[in-house]
Amino acid sequence: MLFPTLDFGLFFLPVLILVWTVGQASNEWRKIILLLASWVFYGAWDWRFVLLLIASAAINWLLAARIQRRLDDGQGVQPWLAIGVVANLLILGFFKYFGFFLEELAPILVAAGFGRDLPVLEVILPVGISFFTFQGMSYLIDIARRKTQPASFLDITLLMSFFPHLVAGPIVRASHLVPQFQSVPRLTRTMVAGGLILITWGLFKKAVIASELATRLVDPAFFDPTAQTGPDLLAAAYGYAVQIYCDFSAYSDMAVGLAALMGYRFPRNFDQPYRAASLQDFWRRWHISLSSWLRDYLYISLGGNRGGIWYICRNLMLTMLLGGIWHGAKWTFLIWGALHGGVLAIERLWREFRPAGFPRLPTPIGVLLIFHIVVVGWIFFRAESLEAALTYLAQLVAFRPGVALAGPLMCGLIAVGMAFHFTPPGLFAGLTRRVAAWPAPLLGLAVGLAVLIIDAMRFEGVAAFIYYQF
Amino acid sequence: MAEDFSSPVDIEGDEQGLSGLGLLAVAMGVALFVLAMLNAHALAAWADGLEPGARSARIGAVTHGLADATAARGLDSPRAALHDEWNQVKAARFAGQQDANQR
Repeated sequence: MLFPTLDFGLFFLPVLILVWTVGQASNEWRKIILLLASWVFYGAWDWRFVLLLIASAAINWLLAARIQRRLDDGQGVQPWLAIGVVANLLILGFFKYFGFFLEELAPILVAAGFGRDLPVLEVILPVGISFFTFQGMSYLIDIARRKTQPASFLDITLLMSFFPHLVAGPIVRASHLVPQFQSVPRLTRTMVAGGLILITWGLFKKAVIASELATRLVDPAFFDPTAQTGPDLLAAAYGYAVQIYCDFSAYSDMAVGLAALMGYRFPRNFDQPYRAASLQDFWRRWHISLSSWLRDYLYISLGGNRGGIWYICRNLMLTMLLGGIWHGAKWTFLIWGALHGGVLAIERLWREFRPAGFPRLPTPIGVLLIFHIVVVGWIFFRAESLEAALTYLAQLVAFRPGVALAGPLMCGLIAVGMAFHFTPPGLFAGLTRRVAAWPAPLLGLAVGLAVLIIDAMRFEGVAAFIYYQF
Repeated sequence: MAEDFSSPVDIEGDEQGLSGLGLLAVAMGVALFVLAMLNAHALAAWADGLEPGARSARIGAVTHGLADATAARGLDSPRAALHDEWNQVKAARFAGQQDANQR
């Protein structure tokens, strides 16, 4: 069930009505309604995965209670925390990486004469597994660090299952969402206005910009780069940068907006990432809930900024390599992570050893440079294989003349997608305040007309969000 | 709550007039009415995609009835006009641009 579809709209409306009628009288019933709705939403992909979700929540709930008991008794929690982290990693690892290791191992086993013993096993990847296992891990680590208290089974299951963030984030931590589950939330006019603006805006970014760029420019260019011209490949590389931003930030916007209409606050996940003048700044603006997760639970666990400059560089590199692998078991993701880790390390070294008085790069040049480093990374991220990424880059460098794919609309959509990054940072808040003051019928009319215009512009059908596969 | 938590919907604003819930109920009602009147064919198309059966036939009859009724009053023309305009934008080419389908 995809957000920008009528199916989802017809699912969400009754849920919204129930949470603000039945759920208004009893917070426990409100949470039960949300939990059941979340399972229906997730079960629309495959009912078996709902059982996995419940099992995962149960494991984390039991281990959290055990860790808290040991904390209360003044005993060490490391063994139980380790069991919890390993259990979450095992779930993630089996579904996400088992197939990859089998595939990589197969030639070796065949060469050694064990080919016929290889199991024929195709593991289906449950949608959003990376998100809910990361949530489970951070919950246990936060309890061990005394940053949060164990939640009830209902709260922890709802935290991990809550449908707006379930399949593609933002990664919402227990310390952020569980306190919001403790009472019936109050819905303010700005939450309604902000929620509706975010949902409509996300719909536009996904259904119009991301879908058009994907189907008419990016997918054909990446399918066979050898058949494309240099300007088309360049436009498709820029186009993918805009597509993945519009696709992923659209999901986050809609998730934040849907949660807001139900009275809950989700964290910001994107903040105009392509205006970053350093890669460190980029990661403070892109997929913020993942980058802060990696910082708090991986980078700091590895030692963070302690131990001298070379340890910091090692930690940056390891964090980004693992961040790359989090996306999937492919060499292209590893290279994407290595590129980001390498550039982050170089930035750090430059800050440490920059000669005194050496002129700083003007901000516009820095923005342009970082954007192009990110674009190169996206080529690896998007390509089906390492060979395909290298072919794409080779064809780009060869720069065969001519234009076929990159027409006026594609160039226009890329320009619009980039322009979002350079609007005043307070634009959304200002617009929300204005819209919140409108009479309700005017707001409804505006939302109805906006959705109508988007529907008239949208591509036939809706492709799944890019981050569903992670 | 963690220090770095900030939500895009954490916005202070004037809360005068209808409550948030009232604003949501009226706005959603009006938006749905606008869409049902101006874009009823989307509902009909959705109903066409349902698994065949007695229930989907009843839903199809209602949604197609609505689509026909709104079309008879010309309510579907704004969306159709917008869609045509958009298709013209999509068909635009740079001077000398090759046809991607005929290379």
